[in-house]
Amino acid sequence: MTLEKLPGEIRSLSLLRESLTVLRKELVSELRSRVALSSVGLFALTTLIAVAYQIGPYRIHEQDRPHLHSALLWIILFFAASSGLPRVFVKEEDAHTAKTLRLAARPAAVFTGKLLFNLLLLLGLEAFLVPLFAVFMGFAVKNIGAFFLVLAAGGLGLAASSTTVAAIIARASGSSTLFVVLAVPLVLPMLVFLIQGTRMAATAADWTAALPALRAVLSLTGVTLVTSAFLFPVVWHD
Amino acid sequence: MTRLKKFFLAALFVWFCLVIWGAFFYAPRAAGFKGESARIVFFHVPQAWVAVVAFCVNLVASIQYLRRRDLMDDIRAAASARLGLLFSVLATVSGSLFAKVMWGSFWNWDPREVSIAILLLIYAAYFALRQAVPDPERRGTLAAAYAILAFVTMPFLVFVVPRIYWSLHPDTIINVQGKIQMESRMFQVLMGSVLGFTGLFWWLYSLETRLARLRLFRDQRGE
Repeated sequence: MTLEKLPGEIRSLSLLRESLTVLRKELVSELRSRVALSSVGLFALTTLIAVAYQIGPYRIHEQDRPHLHSALLWIILFFAASSGLPRVFVKEEDAHTAKTLRLAARPAAVFTGKLLFNLLLLLGLEAFLVPLFAVFMGFAVKNIGAFFLVLAAGGLGLAASSTTVAAIIARASGSSTLFVVLAVPLVLPMLVFLIQGTRMAATAADWTAALPALRAVLSLTGVTLVTSAFLFPVVWHD
Repeated sequence: MTRLKKFFLAALFVWFCLVIWGAFFYAPRAAGFKGESARIVFFHVPQAWVAVVAFCVNLVASIQYLRRRDLMDDIRAAASARLGLLFSVLATVSGSLFAKVMWGSFWNWDPREVSIAILLLIYAAYFALRQAVPDPERRGTLAAAYAILAFVTMPFLVFVVPRIYWSLHPDTIINVQGKIQMESRMFQVLMGSVLGFTGLFWWLYSLETRLARLRLFRDQRGE
């Protein structure tokens, strides 16, 4: 029986299994080389040390802290992540394994698997960087729940935008400079909302303050995910 | 050049002369603005409008390219993005001149200024991507995918960012209340200017696509 003839539920189950297999393959190959993990981690650590050494917790006025800390946190997070996010597709082109992957899995499964890997990479980076940032920069939040929600939504949103851009640049030239050129303007509106949400979580204890930015991030993430899901097969099979 | 085209160009020239005359002599002075600064609205708003039209044409041509794989659609997408970028730069410059007169500084990091700066970056990146891909068919596919992905962020830049942050920018013509808050003679001149700028865009767009079509024809014959 061909895949198209299977009932809908079984097909979606098999898609989920395929996506998880792609994710497992990504994790195994990353744990073997640890290129993305070490480049993202070291980039984040060196940038944080440079920023903390120059600015530190006491060189900013108390009333300016939430604003500057939120902006610095997301700038470090995004630029550190951008050294590892494009690798999911660039390494397939470099190692000439993209053709095999095209034959082995459906585009939707490849996209979901790579998206989940990038999401895990971003969440791992946040788990590593945020406590260090809080210690080195004296960063504190009043609404911890809203802050964690902003971090989770930011991870998903940045992973959604950057996975599609990574697929585009891998087919274009594979240069990570091009990744930054293409990804930064696309994620800038999201970064604006994320910085706003983090600032609100740092200054106000009630949920209503962070909600408008959180809603904007989630809706932008949703739109990006849906558009990417439609566009990915075209980019992957061009 | 056909007779119809010559007539269109002559009509466009006369129309623009009328719009310029109307902007300075027919429309009254706007209350609440410094000196005659508000008259820039007759050029600033149509430039921004044409930029949006150009990006919409780019979106449609990009979708068409992905459906039909016709290189002419890619040419149309690139031509409209180039003109969209040009009119966005013009809208940014005219807006900055107004900001200098009204608020004393060319750039104030107002949400609408941030939005247009991001829009400029997005379409500049679109051309960086085009330059990075030598193969025309792959270039068309990747540029179309990026253009569609970029376009979906536009409503967030145009409608959401200015509503989340406090803005210096005067209320837009299509505002939250859905009412046109403009004196009728000013509105007539503004609509005339919008029509004129749309005609100018159409003329430039047809020139760009004709030129690119000839280049494509030359390259294909050269092979």
